[in-house]
Amino acid sequence: MSPRRHITLKVIAALVFTDLLETLAQFCFKKSALAAGPWQIDSLANVRSFLITIMQSPFLWGGLVCVFVIFVCWSLILSKVDLSVAVPIASTSYITIPLVSVLFLGEKISLIQWSGIAFIIAGIILVSMSVTVKEEKCS
Amino acid sequence: MFVGGIILIIALILLTDILDTIGQLILKSSINKIEFHGLRAKQVVQFITAILRNPRIWIGFILSGLSLIVWLYVLTKAELGFAFSLDSMRYILIAAASAMFLKEKITAGRWMGIVCVIIGIMLVAAGGK
Repeated sequence: MSPRRHITLKVIAALVFTDLLETLAQFCFKKSALAAGPWQIDSLANVRSFLITIMQSPFLWGGLVCVFVIFVCWSLILSKVDLSVAVPIASTSYITIPLVSVLFLGEKISLIQWSGIAFIIAGIILVSMSVTVKEEKCS
Repeated sequence: MFVGGIILIIALILLTDILDTIGQLILKSSINKIEFHGLRAKQVVQFITAILRNPRIWIGFILSGLSLIVWLYVLTKAELGFAFSLDSMRYILIAAASAMFLKEKITAGRWMGIVCVIIGIMLVAAGGK
């Protein structure tokens, strides 16, 4: 495998990893919000007690740790490739989320959506192939 | 939805895209100045310390966070297929901004890839049912 392809695969792997962490973070935030129960923003005391409850939830802190790790990963990715490469390749979430929905939530994907996924994959491949060797040497 | 509502939603989607683009530009231009050598623990810690001590990186991060908050608000109001389709224009904004401000060279192949991604997102977003 050429070194050029190698680094792009690493970037894609890092992006899929941040996608998974993102999902985990959202799950944690949802859990911590559910732990607080239903609430209304009708008085300052309510907001205060909501904040106190979610801050006691380990899920909130777990979610925040995920966000921090995602931020570091994204910074590492940006230190390796152009912004105009990293951002389009980050569209992997439009593939992973439908796939997760099919596999774990029993949702269905239409033919049009499958063709959309094919377009995204083609786009990611085209963008990856446009990474020049010079960029990687300075990385 | 009444016409004013749609205009507000379009404006908010453009706002999240512009905020995110500016945030990413600041982030990328700051990170370009930070040296990163490899994936050994010590090197990663050095890298993390360097980004945490850079106020410009925090500004970029906060702008992206603001963009996310506006986006979440849009998601509660707008039809999802429409919101995601219009939001996919951010890929063009990011590419144009990278070329203008970061002097990145965007080849025809890269533009084609970006257009494919946008078409794909529109199909995934609007092709449900």
